[in-house]
Amino acid sequence: METPYQPIAGTVERSIRVSEKERLFSVIPSDPTLLKYRPGQFYMVGLPGYGEAPISITSGPGEALIELCVRAVGNLTNALHSLRKGDKIWLRGPFGRGFDLEELEGKDLVFVAGGIGIVPMRSLLKAVLGRREKFGRLTLIYGSRSPDELLFSEEMDGWRAAGMDVKLTVDRAEPLWKGNVGVVTTLIPKVEVAQKNTVGVIIGPPVMYRFVILSLNAKGLGPEDIFVSLERRMKCGLGKCGHCQINSLYICQCGPVFRMSELKGMVEAI
Amino acid sequence: MGNVNDFKFLSERGFQGLVKGLLKELKVYGTIVKDGFPAFGEISAPEELVLSSTPTHLSAKEFFFPQREVLLKFNIKTAAFSPVIESVDQAIIGMHPCDIRALSLMDRVFAAGTPDPNYLSRRSKTLIIGSDCMPDDYCFCKSLGNSEAESGFDIFLHALGKGFLVRTGSDKGRAALLKYAKLRAPSTKEFREFQGLCLKRDSSFKAKVDAPPAELPSIYAKSDESKVWQKIGAICTGCGSCNNVCPTCYCFDVKDEVKASLAEGERVRNWDGCTLEDFAKVAGGHNFRKTRAERLRHRFNRKFRYLSSTFDSLFCVGCGRCSRACLVKINIVEVTNELVSECHNK
Repeated sequence: METPYQPIAGTVERSIRVSEKERLFSVIPSDPTLLKYRPGQFYMVGLPGYGEAPISITSGPGEALIELCVRAVGNLTNALHSLRKGDKIWLRGPFGRGFDLEELEGKDLVFVAGGIGIVPMRSLLKAVLGRREKFGRLTLIYGSRSPDELLFSEEMDGWRAAGMDVKLTVDRAEPLWKGNVGVVTTLIPKVEVAQKNTVGVIIGPPVMYRFVILSLNAKGLGPEDIFVSLERRMKCGLGKCGHCQINSLYICQCGPVFRMSELKGMVEAI
Repeated sequence: MGNVNDFKFLSERGFQGLVKGLLKELKVYGTIVKDGFPAFGEISAPEELVLSSTPTHLSAKEFFFPQREVLLKFNIKTAAFSPVIESVDQAIIGMHPCDIRALSLMDRVFAAGTPDPNYLSRRSKTLIIGSDCMPDDYCFCKSLGNSEAESGFDIFLHALGKGFLVRTGSDKGRAALLKYAKLRAPSTKEFREFQGLCLKRDSSFKAKVDAPPAELPSIYAKSDESKVWQKIGAICTGCGSCNNVCPTCYCFDVKDEVKASLAEGERVRNWDGCTLEDFAKVAGGHNFRKTRAERLRHRFNRKFRYLSSTFDSLFCVGCGRCSRACLVKINIVEVTNELVSECHNK
């Protein structure tokens, strides 16, 4: 009998250290149907003996490999960091509903990423930049604790060249840092926003959401104009184990991407 | 209470014959007395059963959703996972109306979306024999409309002074009775005795929720900021007993256990509890429900509000197990009635 807990093998094609704590993996899944995903979706990624954890997809839809960027914080993620080219990795998914690009077409988009929130955001950025002409003005505001922790910085010139304004900020500057210092919300007032035609997308650590939403509200964006992707603990990905639940929503199935208006009245959402 | 034509009479001896017959074919579990308390346990003879008891300490969910179960076996060297779906033919004797209601909710949960083959396989191999009960101080199923089981069982037994009135709820139940029991139509006297027992049971409930069940989701929806959560959060020990004893708590953890050989292991599902501190904590340490007050609010809302929009039913069945098991006497009826009265006074 089949079980939804059966993981699918993937082979690591590339394993690159991208910062002190993060490693970027390119994975070839043994079942190509796993390559059909939307930005914002995730896999339950595991290793025998270490269990599974939800890991965001960072590659763009339609790419030949699945890219996963993993921060080493626990037993499983530390074990994942030991994987090299040719090693096996186990996946279930993709889970969740991700971003619907058609909903964003024709809009000016302000992407606000904090820390490893850039990992799932990158999948969306790649999808949007791949169809650049369908969207209005694009702005990415990305903040990390220090310049060392900024991920994908080597890709940012390409993103700028493709027609996106990229604004970076760090909490703690280092001598060589010439950019902005401060939390992401310090950059939001500087963004020009065409009211009624701008959508904000927020992905970051839990502490960030309320402040960024308030800053976007001040720019005239309402609950219909703001999308968030929410992190939660997950053990099954099937809407059953209960860990990711917010009110009646199971984040693994109904999310992790939500329009803020869908979370109205849910005291634990952000 | 039903119509006399819905019932058959089964004698004591007939009941023993039924249980003995089932014991030849299946694993049989039922309500017994364990360490002085009513509990579900495996039986090997009909005399071990104690029917019509007050509620068991643990519910019957463990027979469908065990406290620990293997989902996959894996070999680390060959890097292979293989599914484990274990189930045996079994009968559960003595499930009360609240337990049967809870089981029907669990059936819907595990069949919804991506069906859970482990649960569904066990469920399909189970014969449910319900039985009447006697409420204790904590039982409040009547005020939630669950004091009588209309469906969800294969056979239901109403114990009389001598013998039983029997209802059948499925073809499976009908076949078992046909095979192992001799039934006859009940006499008027037997039916009157049954009616008398029903009235006695109905009038024995002490605990009740002070609002119609249909109003409870909206009462809870208005109570996110109630002081009740801080009050019970301050005394809750976070032990998770309420989750463990609840017949509709189905949250679980999944983790890997590696054998001493370090070559093989199992991916295992264990009961988890939303009142435990780590339940909503993510890697990196952020806890989405930091306080006991928040965790209790979540649990109570799951029973009366959150799942009602998905499954169109309350998930509290009124068994009172959480209140009975609570180390600090947090009582689900008292908490709910405080919210009811706060809402009515707003």
